Amino acid sequence: MNLQKKLFQRTTRRQLFENCGIGVGKTALTSLFVGDRLFASTPAAGYHHAPKAKSVIYLFMAGAPSQFELWERKPELQKLSGETLPPSLLEGKRFAFMDSFVKSPPKLLGTRRAFKQHGESGQWVSECLPHTAQTVDDLAFVRSVHTENFNHAPAKIMMNTGSPIFGRPSMGAWVSYGIGSESKDLPGFVVLQSGPRGPRGGAMNWAGGFLPTSHQGIPFLSGGAPILNMSNPQGFDEKRQAATIDAILDLNRMNLEKYGDPEIETRIAAYEMAHRMQTSGPELIDFSTESQATLDMYGAKPGEKSFANNCLLARRLVERGVRFVQLYHSSWDHHGGPGENLDENLDEVCLSADRGCAALIRDLKQRGLLDETLVVWGGEFGRTPMGEQRDTLGRNHHIDAFTMWFAGGGTKPGQSIGETDEIGFSPVKDPVHVHDIQATILHLLGIDHTKLTFKFRGRDFRLTDVGGNVIQKLLA
Amino acid sequence: MPRCCFILSAAAVIFCAGLNAADDAGKVRFFEERVRPVLAANCLKCHNDQAKMSGLSLASREAAMLGGSRGSAVIPGQADASLLIRAIRRTGEIKMPPAGPLAANDVAALSDWIGQGAAWGSAPPRERVTAAHWSFQPVRRPSPPRLRDPSKARNAIDFFIQAKLEEKGIAPSPEADRRTLLRRLSLDLTGLPPTLEEIRAFLDDRRSDAYERAVERLLASPHYGERWGRHWLDIARYADSNGYSIDGDRSIWRYRDWVIDALNRDMPFDRFVIEQVAGDLLPNPTQEQLIATGFHRNTMINQEGGIDYEQYRVEAVVDRVNTTGAAFLGLTIGCARCHDHKFDPISQREFYRLFAFFNNIDELGGNIPDGEGPAFRMQPLLEFGKPEDFVRREALDQQIEALEAELLQYQKTIEKDWESRFELSGDTVEERIPEILATLIEERATIDRGLLSRFFSEKDAAWKARQDGIRALRGALPKLESTLIMRELPAPRESYIHVRGDFTRKGDAVEAGTLAVLPPMKKTDNPNRLDLARWLVSAENPMTPRVTMNRLWQRYFGVGIVETENDFGSQGTAPSHPELLDRLASEFVRHDWSLKAMHRLIVTSATYRQSSAARPDAAKADPVNRLLARQNRLRLEAEIIRDAGLTVSGLLSPAVGGPSVFPPQPAGAGQFTQVDRKWKADEGANRYRRGMYIFFRRSAAYPGLVLFDAPDAQASTTRRNRSNTPLQALTLLNDETQTAFAENLAKSILAAAKDRGERIRFAFETCLARPPNEDEQQRMSQYLARMTDAFATDSEDDGAGSPQEAAWLAASRVMLNLDEFVTRQ
Repeated sequence: MNLQKKLFQRTTRRQLFENCGIGVGKTALTSLFVGDRLFASTPAAGYHHAPKAKSVIYLFMAGAPSQFELWERKPELQKLSGETLPPSLLEGKRFAFMDSFVKSPPKLLGTRRAFKQHGESGQWVSECLPHTAQTVDDLAFVRSVHTENFNHAPAKIMMNTGSPIFGRPSMGAWVSYGIGSESKDLPGFVVLQSGPRGPRGGAMNWAGGFLPTSHQGIPFLSGGAPILNMSNPQGFDEKRQAATIDAILDLNRMNLEKYGDPEIETRIAAYEMAHRMQTSGPELIDFSTESQATLDMYGAKPGEKSFANNCLLARRLVERGVRFVQLYHSSWDHHGGPGENLDENLDEVCLSADRGCAALIRDLKQRGLLDETLVVWGGEFGRTPMGEQRDTLGRNHHIDAFTMWFAGGGTKPGQSIGETDEIGFSPVKDPVHVHDIQATILHLLGIDHTKLTFKFRGRDFRLTDVGGNVIQKLLA
Repeated sequence: MPRCCFILSAAAVIFCAGLNAADDAGKVRFFEERVRPVLAANCLKCHNDQAKMSGLSLASREAAMLGGSRGSAVIPGQADASLLIRAIRRTGEIKMPPAGPLAANDVAALSDWIGQGAAWGSAPPRERVTAAHWSFQPVRRPSPPRLRDPSKARNAIDFFIQAKLEEKGIAPSPEADRRTLLRRLSLDLTGLPPTLEEIRAFLDDRRSDAYERAVERLLASPHYGERWGRHWLDIARYADSNGYSIDGDRSIWRYRDWVIDALNRDMPFDRFVIEQVAGDLLPNPTQEQLIATGFHRNTMINQEGGIDYEQYRVEAVVDRVNTTGAAFLGLTIGCARCHDHKFDPISQREFYRLFAFFNNIDELGGNIPDGEGPAFRMQPLLEFGKPEDFVRREALDQQIEALEAELLQYQKTIEKDWESRFELSGDTVEERIPEILATLIEERATIDRGLLSRFFSEKDAAWKARQDGIRALRGALPKLESTLIMRELPAPRESYIHVRGDFTRKGDAVEAGTLAVLPPMKKTDNPNRLDLARWLVSAENPMTPRVTMNRLWQRYFGVGIVETENDFGSQGTAPSHPELLDRLASEFVRHDWSLKAMHRLIVTSATYRQSSAARPDAAKADPVNRLLARQNRLRLEAEIIRDAGLTVSGLLSPAVGGPSVFPPQPAGAGQFTQVDRKWKADEGANRYRRGMYIFFRRSAAYPGLVLFDAPDAQASTTRRNRSNTPLQALTLLNDETQTAFAENLAKSILAAAKDRGERIRFAFETCLARPPNEDEQQRMSQYLARMTDAFATDSEDDGAGSPQEAAWLAASRVMLNLDEFVTRQ
């Protein structure tokens, strides 16, 4: 029994250690705890001001939705449909699939979709998104977003990391690094995916880059356990797994006594958290506690790989303190080629996305969570007011002006920010750069984007590079 | 006397700085009061860092001087010549601001301000390191300092380390016990833990040089090249796929094998560098020397549709410059891509002079139409095949070319009367046909060509037959194995400064050249990559040997002598032991750049051989152990954790080199990429190859590697993180691969002994190279008893074997999860 006594003493030490705790949202500690002592000397920033939002749900519409079919009503573009675009507008611009634009000058394309005004705020939304249209009074549209890269992967990386160069930390990783997470048994930054394919650029979209690895986004799997290796090996039920982890930790404590290396303490804490993740994971994805009405509102069907399910899961994740949830839904890349036309193919993706978005807003609101949860909707760029002739008429990538919307988390609902010209080619009022979006998201979370930096390769890096202004009009 | 001089000169510096500040203060005040408000009210709305109308920002002095699409806006000291002044005077073509002329006194203020040098803001003039910075000095060969007590020193290294410890009154740690030493040495030199036989042999070897013999044995092992090769591959950003969004496969494993082989043969490091940077430019390069140039073909290739290929070619060239800076020079050259380096003496012009060395590769770029085959995009390649394969391909290529010409002729004939020739259905595709046909065949857009091709193959059987014939011949082309290499263009591309790092904004033309702050390269008329490579390892260049030795040190102690291993510039940290670093660098060159000689020197030092147990007595004076009063415990790298599991479970397939392998990976690991590439797990021995041979896909890397901080191969990595996370715990606890290791380990434990105590001892010795102590023995025994009872309640037909076997599998899981197992102590 000598051993038991010794272990008890060690346990007391462990508890002391636990109390200064992993996962209590204290990032300076968390960054110590990730065990990379090389970084321990650079404590993360923590809050710079009182946060408005506790968590973010970012609905990333992969492939770039057409603002002209969904949000942007442009009577003048309808009138000019079929006219050749004045070449002066193309001067000095670069586009994807340039050679088709150069060889046959593009013609303007009016939409075939009907628009109506909705809500008290009277926002225009097309027939494609009937459910979202009913929530417009909770949304704030930014109609003048512009970015810098006209190909999917670099533009996605730009939207997520503030740079088109692969390998920088993503927004969720920056946030996790800056203010940590409130969840004790789930990762702070979770990525969900639905639609026919994963986002271009893959893991680079939720990379930790040069930040400590523990801040990178963790992709949840659809079907079965959400995290890789969350289930015990065959033959090990919860009791046996617990006994096994106990044995591992006791032996680690014995070695800790010999070597006194704080890394061993960190590993003990990591195993304890892993074990908590294993027990909370099944509960997280178990939708049986949700009412039928809730499931119906989302259109969620337990066990299905769908955007609707992911929206519901996102709500459950932020309820459990997860800081940043990003949903990728594909594909919105409607060039007009086979499977990517602006007719039934657009219908399909709208149908799969619309209800989940609207339900998420309503559900968060009815649970009193919308105030503290920022919801972001948008793609990596927009689409051209000109048509692109493939098998059918589609639209090419457009980086100069596109639409995103925001809800909750300290944003001012029922408004539109920014305007584009009559054909929607360029912003004419309040242009908003990608870095401005990023600065604003960080601002709402209580972070000053100019102060959240990390020194790497000889200089301080930040999410917004050298740009970014908080969109003041967006704030409540 | 010398001390006095120092104080005097320091005072003089402060005095001068004060004077300058006073002089500048007036100008800055003028700017703040008279100029900034004018710019803010009239210009900045359009000409800020974000909007940058006409490419021009007036948000900073640099930006104003850099100018926009019409050139520099502000030339300090020359108001009349400055575009900004001409625009606000509205004398020329540009009249600004568009809303109407500025007040005359504002125009005068701006003009005076530029005339007086265009001082800006209150920011202090930035400090630029001069050539006096420590790392730019020639490498010296310091003698080891004297020690009060030299009895604990084994070689020169220890004198440098212990002298600093003596200064602080800290004693070095005792040598680690022999078992710990052998495990440490084996993991450091080969990445594999010692086998029971190796441990016994070492413990039984009572000769005074038993340790040195072990060092020699391990340095001669083929696994040495794997272990240190993988370190180099981090720097070389090696991967088996092209990166970006499509991220298709590439074949460049022969380069990986070249690295392993070169290190095993202890190729002198200067040659190692020259062959990788410019092996293709050596006179009559051998096949091996060409393969070596894969180093700078580890750049990513974008295969996404609709891109501007030139943009991504430029990215690859930039990556080569950055990698050269990080790998050899320890400088953050990449900072100078868009502007002069803010802290180090590296100008933007110099960045593009280095760029010019790498800008002439005969690779995909420029204005190339979409739709070319992927093989074309991988060039230049070195191909491997039988001579008859090459002959056959040549013949087929000629046939294909002839048939294509014939098809073109035929198409021209049918295009003439297509409307009468075909039955038309009047769908939307057909509406486009006349428009496309109106364009010359050669000038049609790719998408249009595709549309037309679908149209003709539907409507015209003869056209389709011809095209099918060409396709069949293409399919019959022999598939040759290949590896990516460097090859120069016959005529070099023009290199120029990219204004703000944007390749579409051409600045001055530049010629290839090196950094002015470092010793010059040998004078030649048109320096090429080979000259650059030779310059990197020239006797005068102080950076390469210092940077290389620092990195070697870092692998053994966790942190380099210079902690910022990739930044030896002014923003980097100062070396903790500058004399030691120079001693190592000079020793390295004196040993003809032999890496093995330097490994030998370091691992035989008393400093390396110390225990890694905490030293509370030293922690106060040296909290992060920079002075090395003890060794550091280091978590094993991603690949090595796998290798250790393979070794102790007896599953390891020790084959060296060959194509990359596909061991099983958890289901769903590939769900998150654009192209869900199926991962077909290998069968047989390839399931059990070392971690470094696992096929590395950049966008969806093997989860077990990424979670343990294997680099993402997006850019050169000179130091890995060593994180410690719950997801790592989940992997070690539950991954299928781990369970397979545990199963096999359990089998060998059960076979090795009969008695529970002996089995526990065997398990500890196998996994940790040491027997358990009493507490450990007791705890493990308790766990085994508990698990045996638990498994006894299971039904027998679940295939798990007897309760005892199942309990040993459980105990094996415990062993593989111990912190000590995944740590080099």
